[in-house]
Amino acid sequence: MDLATLLFWIIAIVLVGSALLVVGLRNIVHSALALVVVFAMAAGIYLLLNAEFIAIVQILIYAGAVTVLILFALMLTRTSNLSTNSNPNNKQWWLGAIISALVCVGIIAAVTLSQYSTARAGNAPYPAYAPSHSACILPPNNVAYIGQLLYSPTCYSYVLPFEIASLVLLVAIVGAIVIGRED
Amino acid sequence: MALYQYSWLILLSPLFAFAVIIFGTRMWDLATRRRVVAATAEHEAEEHGEVDGDFQLIHLKGPRGEDLVFEDIEDPKVPRLTPGARVSGYLSIVIMALACIYSWILLFNTAGVISIAPPLPAQGISLGQISYSWCQGSFCQGLTSYTVSFHLDNLAIAMMVVVTTVSLLVQFYSQGYMENSAGYARFFSYLSLFAFSMLMIVFAENFLVIFIGWELVGLSSYLLIGFWINKRAKPEEDRLSPASAAIEAFITNRVGDVGFLIGIMILFANTGTFNFNQLATAVTHMDKAVLTAAMILVFCGAIGKSAQVPLQVWLPPAMEGPTPVSALIHAATMVAAGVYMVSRTFLLFAAANPAAFQVVAWTGGITAIFAALIAIAQTDFKRVLAFSTISQLGYMFVGLGIAGNVYGPGPGMFHLFTHAFFKALLFLGAGSVLHSLHHAMHREVQDMRLMGGLAPKMPITAITWLIAVLAISGFPFFAGFFSKDTIIGLAYDNGYYALYIITLLTSGLTAFYMLRAYILAFGGKGGAWGGLWGGTYRGEGEPHESPLTITIPLVLLAIASIVAGYWFGFFSYIKPGAPNLSFSVILTDLKTWLTVAVSLVGLAWAYALYTRVELARINAVVQGNAVLRVLHRILLRKFYFDDLYDLLIRYVVLGISHIEQAFDTYIIDGIVNGIAQLVTGTGRDVRKVETGRVQAYMVGFFGGIAVLAILVFVLAVFVK
Amino acid sequence: MGLTLNHFLVLGAVLFCIGLYGALSKRNAVAVLMGIEIMLNAVNVTMVGFAFYNTVKPWSTYLTGQIFAIFIITVAAAEAAVALAMIISIYRKRNTVDVDEINMMKW
Repeated sequence: MDLATLLFWIIAIVLVGSALLVVGLRNIVHSALALVVVFAMAAGIYLLLNAEFIAIVQILIYAGAVTVLILFALMLTRTSNLSTNSNPNNKQWWLGAIISALVCVGIIAAVTLSQYSTARAGNAPYPAYAPSHSACILPPNNVAYIGQLLYSPTCYSYVLPFEIASLVLLVAIVGAIVIGRED
Repeated sequence: MALYQYSWLILLSPLFAFAVIIFGTRMWDLATRRRVVAATAEHEAEEHGEVDGDFQLIHLKGPRGEDLVFEDIEDPKVPRLTPGARVSGYLSIVIMALACIYSWILLFNTAGVISIAPPLPAQGISLGQISYSWCQGSFCQGLTSYTVSFHLDNLAIAMMVVVTTVSLLVQFYSQGYMENSAGYARFFSYLSLFAFSMLMIVFAENFLVIFIGWELVGLSSYLLIGFWINKRAKPEEDRLSPASAAIEAFITNRVGDVGFLIGIMILFANTGTFNFNQLATAVTHMDKAVLTAAMILVFCGAIGKSAQVPLQVWLPPAMEGPTPVSALIHAATMVAAGVYMVSRTFLLFAAANPAAFQVVAWTGGITAIFAALIAIAQTDFKRVLAFSTISQLGYMFVGLGIAGNVYGPGPGMFHLFTHAFFKALLFLGAGSVLHSLHHAMHREVQDMRLMGGLAPKMPITAITWLIAVLAISGFPFFAGFFSKDTIIGLAYDNGYYALYIITLLTSGLTAFYMLRAYILAFGGKGGAWGGLWGGTYRGEGEPHESPLTITIPLVLLAIASIVAGYWFGFFSYIKPGAPNLSFSVILTDLKTWLTVAVSLVGLAWAYALYTRVELARINAVVQGNAVLRVLHRILLRKFYFDDLYDLLIRYVVLGISHIEQAFDTYIIDGIVNGIAQLVTGTGRDVRKVETGRVQAYMVGFFGGIAVLAILVFVLAVFVK
Repeated sequence: MGLTLNHFLVLGAVLFCIGLYGALSKRNAVAVLMGIEIMLNAVNVTMVGFAFYNTVKPWSTYLTGQIFAIFIITVAAAEAAVALAMIISIYRKRNTVDVDEINMMKW
């Protein structure tokens, strides 16, 4: 087992374990903190996959902003039962467990056993691709590459989805303010 | 031939009278009647009442001060008949008289007494002027048999004479009997309607018309029996209300008509025609078993109409109608319609198996002795006569059944002919007695135990009644002697020994109970002529002889009861080629005198018993002896037929009705309502899926994915 | 054993189902949201895994998966913001964040 594999297993085990803690802990603030661990471990996975930019973005946004947002929401919606279970299960939790288990088994079976799975060698769905412009060189590092893929006006890029995503963010900001107003 | 061509006038003139009376003179009567107000006991009406313009208080207290309100509601009277009512009566009588004269002329002409027109052919003449064909031409191939057509032949003329004569005499009699009745005009209109219906049966040329007439006489009978609309039942005398009796008559007739109709349909289906003459030739090609079944079913109609066993139950209660109605319909004419119909279709019966005639004869024989046995125990005056009618109708059917092809319908029809006269006489005489007793006792009395010794007080009625009793008993040289004894003799000659014994015994019983009725009403112990004329009167008041309008028909019918039997050419008149009665043969035949002996024994036994012993003592002896008491009870309850039918209807018919009603309520409505409930209930349960909780919806969503995952897994791994 | 794409796909599947369980069985609305966040992270892991093991030549490090992951993060953040605003608003009105009690759209 080489280093990458070992790291993968450690991070994966912690990741899955803290995800289980998120859904299992009785105190909801504790599960919010376990969620932070989940986000951090996910960033670790990204690093293993040579996606440095995504890892940093994950820490920044998820482990930073989203976590704080969730903690504030928890603070603002406290019911008075501090001692009792603040993260209870509903009556059909067993049904949820069964369904999740089945879905999990289904996906894993489809991925590993199916002969059409993308992970199987020789099942690459995309054809060979050539750059549209001779000036488009392969960027040296991950960040530059992502920057080119997001913003480049000349090479192949996802500028339009980027602009739309910014619009979505604008709408979300305005919407959150409107919904969250007190009146 | 013009004589025959205009004979449809006989048929349609009573219908004309009916229409004119109902829409014309009766309206006139109702409009001009003085309005009367019934006073109740609280008003304390005085003897003569007070006149106040158009209003007049009726005196409603009897001579002993009893309240007469009920009786007047039951049988509403008017103090004087209005001109409208009188004209209704006169119109009806005049038209019937004209029809009667015309039919007698036809009779004399075809019998050869006078000669205005040539004699009729055996097939008769079709009266095309009043026929109507449902559809003509090639357009309606299958419908050409549906015609309303009438014809005239010797059999029709013989029946027509009976119907018109008895109708005329009854209508004349009703002037006196229904005097001061509020429904006088309505009564005559119904009598005319009945005459039309009966003549429709007589003139009919095919089964359709005879069925129409059949139902119309049923209707007329219903209207006439139930003439007194508000009359109550008298359970203490075992009497129904006239309305109930009318319904019973109609429904029992309908039960017979079911068989009749099915028989007609079978005949039509196999031969394609309803016409009697065409059927007579067409049925020779039919399958004999089917034809026999059809004819037995057709005979079922006669069983219903002519009150044979087992459908005889309607005739005794039908006596609740006015006595002229009983005389006309239930003695002389309507009940004879069955006999006429069987005579009309005699050739069809002859073409079937001998079983058809056997059914007819045995039904008649069993009915004859059955009714005779019941009659000896009855105490109601009209009931004795009702059972006597049933018994004599049985004789007529025996006569039809045993005659064979040699004699044809002659013997049965001859007995119908003579019976009409003396039975009408018996009923009209009974009406006369009841009418005067009603006046004497101020209430309706029909019980023979309250009569007795009436002969000196009502001599004409008594003499004519005695003549009729002798005629019905078959006393030598009266009408019944010739007609009844012919049938009994024929039974022996054609080998029906069992029927011979039965008819012989019935003859004796008939003589017994008729003379018993006579003595109980008119005679008694201590009267003249050895107890036949006068005796102790067991009722109240002073009965006296009835007016001329009542006694004249009695005298005329008495003459007919003697003379009618002497038409010896009857058999060949009805069926050309049949052997006629011969006076000398009758007198020298041993069987004749045996029959006479049996009826004389019956007469003598009644005479000995009822003129020597008081009624109370007879009753005591019968009630004292156990066997006699049981027998008397069975006969009094008419062999429990009424009770049997009551149980049958109450438990079987109504039971089935209840079952079907339960079926309708629970199953049919259950299905309909159940489907609605199903839809509603399903909706109510299904909408619970929408819980409003998002997680529940997500469970559904991902649950579906899970199911699909399993499905794909199973298919991928195991099915390949 | 070397790392293959299957490892990351299985990891993503397991995380997704844990998140699904949380989203289906929790009564607290914020806990449901946390389950949804776990699901989105699982998807991100899968996407980035595909980007790494991409075999398209010559752009063999062609990064569609990572771009997808960026956009998912963006939209997830926006959605979390709006969802939490809604939860706070509901809490103000009903004084509860129990999703079982927010069932006014029932039959």
